[in-house]
Amino acid sequence: MSDLLKLAGVSVHFSGLKALTEVSFDAHAGEVLALIGPNGAGKTTLFNVISGYVQPTAGEIHFKGEPIQGLTPHEVSAKGVRRTFQNGGLFGDMTVLENVLTGLHVQIDSNFFGLLLGTRKADEAERAAAARARRLLALMDMDGFADQQVKSLSGGQQRMVEIVRTIATEPPLLLLDEPAVGLSPPMRARMMEVIKRLAGEEGISILLIEHAIDLVMAGSDRIVVLNSGQKIAEGKPNEIRENREVLEAYLGYA
Amino acid sequence: MLMQLTVSGFAQGAIYALIALSLTVVFRATTVVNFGHGDFVLGGAFGVYVLVVMLGLPFLPSAIAAIILMFACGILISRGFIDPIKAGPHIGFAMMSISLGYIFRGTTRSIWGREVLPMPRVFDIPPVFIGDVVITGDAMIISGIVALLLVGFFIVFYKTSIGKVIQAVYQSERGATLIGINVRRFHDMMWGAGLAMGAVAGILIAPISLLHPDLGAGFLIRGFAAMTLGGFGSLGGAVAGGLILGITEQYAGAYINTALIDITSYLVIIVVLVVRPSGLFGKRAVVRV
Amino acid sequence: MNQETPKVKSSLMQNARIFYLVPLVAALIPFFANDYLQFMVNMIMVYVLVTVGFNLVIGNLGQLAFANTAFFGIGAYMTAILMNYAGFTFEIALVGAAISGGLAGLLASITALRGIRLYYLAIITLAFGELMRWVYIHAESVTRGTDGLPLPDVTVFGMSMHSETAKFYVFLVITVLVVKGTSNLLKSRVGRAILAIRDNELTTASLGISTANYIILTFVWSGSVVGVAGAMFAASTERVFPESFGLTEVIVHFAMVMVGGAGSLIGSIIGGVVLTALPEYFRQFPGMEELFFGVIIIAVLLFLPKGLVSLLAKVSPLFRERYYRE
Repeated sequence: MSDLLKLAGVSVHFSGLKALTEVSFDAHAGEVLALIGPNGAGKTTLFNVISGYVQPTAGEIHFKGEPIQGLTPHEVSAKGVRRTFQNGGLFGDMTVLENVLTGLHVQIDSNFFGLLLGTRKADEAERAAAARARRLLALMDMDGFADQQVKSLSGGQQRMVEIVRTIATEPPLLLLDEPAVGLSPPMRARMMEVIKRLAGEEGISILLIEHAIDLVMAGSDRIVVLNSGQKIAEGKPNEIRENREVLEAYLGYA
Repeated sequence: MLMQLTVSGFAQGAIYALIALSLTVVFRATTVVNFGHGDFVLGGAFGVYVLVVMLGLPFLPSAIAAIILMFACGILISRGFIDPIKAGPHIGFAMMSISLGYIFRGTTRSIWGREVLPMPRVFDIPPVFIGDVVITGDAMIISGIVALLLVGFFIVFYKTSIGKVIQAVYQSERGATLIGINVRRFHDMMWGAGLAMGAVAGILIAPISLLHPDLGAGFLIRGFAAMTLGGFGSLGGAVAGGLILGITEQYAGAYINTALIDITSYLVIIVVLVVRPSGLFGKRAVVRV
Repeated sequence: MNQETPKVKSSLMQNARIFYLVPLVAALIPFFANDYLQFMVNMIMVYVLVTVGFNLVIGNLGQLAFANTAFFGIGAYMTAILMNYAGFTFEIALVGAAISGGLAGLLASITALRGIRLYYLAIITLAFGELMRWVYIHAESVTRGTDGLPLPDVTVFGMSMHSETAKFYVFLVITVLVVKGTSNLLKSRVGRAILAIRDNELTTASLGISTANYIILTFVWSGSVVGVAGAMFAASTERVFPESFGLTEVIVHFAMVMVGGAGSLIGSIIGGVVLTALPEYFRQFPGMEELFFGVIIIAVLLFLPKGLVSLLAKVSPLFRERYYRE
């Protein structure tokens, strides 16, 4: 298993605030790597730094061997690193299907002039995309909602749609920010199933921020633990479970 | 020649500075850019015209009445037109303010039609001569009043407790609400203040120009040019931008072509936004995507 | 599940084809209308395209922009100039108008590449629009300034276009083609990308979509459409004046978009149809146009922010836009 993502000495220091200090770890292809830690440990900042929304003040990030620190979000995304957002990043004025279609955008072979003139090629590309979007939704049992406005969906359903949209982009590396938050227990279980399937069958590498320790222990291949901006542990779930420092950091967390 | 231009440009620029500052006050307080502001500045001027010329009242009370009237208008606009749509897309505020401006402009045009209205001379101060340079009475009065107003404004802003409240809300509306500031009333007051300051600019212009409904557009674009040049959102920048714009207009008109006076603002806007969008003192203006 | 959906889909599709009936029915108008009414109908088509174009920028893309009258004027003047000085016939001048409108759209929005957005973009388009108007007035040797630039005999493909009826059929063809082309673009990844940018530019970028390019594309497309409208306007009035593209015109364009429905293609058509007759009527009373349109926009913003099309959408799903096809 090669290193898909490699962080070396990444630090983010805002004026006076040390959000991240010298964080280093690797993520491999086809694995689920969970990022855990108490609130304020720097997990979301780490996502922001990997995906280009925040610049690191020190350190390097390599994706598939290429440095990506300092790139804009668009550029990082173009390299193959995609993420979901905590506050939904769905487009409110569109339907579920249309949202998923935005994920397929770069793969659709239709251009301005082809569409304008109504060429067959453009038309077929668009129709094929809609069909593919419906299939993707069906994979997650969400195809019944395809023509509904996303605004009318529950939080958990919206999260699912967002994941489908992100999967549609066929990312080698997927950053999931608390995908299970607010979901009902059966949906949480389904979410973890989906995540494991994506990593195992589709070979997508998944980096996951999650607070639900039970899901993390059951669903991830490896875990990285952050506390106050620093990495305090890394390893397989059963190793982390026994780790002293981790238990101390989580004092008060079940 | 250069000094003369600079002096007259300075006086013009003082007006622009006031317009830009009043726009910025509202913008910083409410994040709404008032696209109708030019017409409201004119409102101050027309208000004074009506009171002085049509009703025969003396100048100073009329000016004060006009300022109070525009202050009230500001509160009315904030309460009745801006607040109700605050949940909608941001573009709605712009359209609301434009429409209000147009309603005002349409009203004045229906009443006065194509007439151009002259105000009688108000100040009879003889000009001052420094070497070759003539400083007209009007220029002195305008610069003097604007300077006083600006000094007053910045004193209030930085030194008084009201100013601290304004600064707090400028920094964080959420935080301000948490410490008990009534943000809604604050918005109303700021709109009132912005329109009142704009009215002062209008009143200062009235005696030295021929009033007609289309002047508002010119005020607006110059206000924007000043804000853009000084840095959108910066109070000091608005003032600096206004003064520089006034002077630049005079230079361009004299040294290049008189027709340029009208379009200097457009060119300033385009050049600044292409070369250095954050202007002289502004924060980052571009979106990093 | 799969067996039921095709039936529903095809009846919906059949319903959507109702919209094709509109131009067919409209083609009968010249048989019933006198010259003045015909002139009005022609103007309606001009303004339908103006609104379609403008709506793309302020409705679909959601960016405040003031360059629409500039595109309109550029289209009109370019048509008049090409016909006068280059001897082009209308069909060629029309292409010239579309291209120059598109170029103007490019110029107005090029700063988007550097990240200029929101009110900065609004102000730069305002400056651009006013600058263009200054040019029409001052480039007197070419535009004849405030005297207006007359059009020579308007012909299209060799046939005279002087009668209102002839203009009507030419305009009808142009309008149908432009609206259909726009609809094709909206029902595709282009249309979705534009809506996505309006909603959240950062998220859109994270999906690999180059947002600055799409912003510019929208302006170019809008400029072309409105440029074509300008060409039609020039052909209709047969003399082009700078005042037609001034600040009073700006509020008319805004009102048509808002009344019809911002962000809706059908809304644009509604707005153009409903409001066109009014500017003509109000032109007699100075100031009434500005007053009236200002009031209308405020009324819409306060009471019907999504425009008339939102009322129609409650009655039939036909009026709800879809941004995909299958």
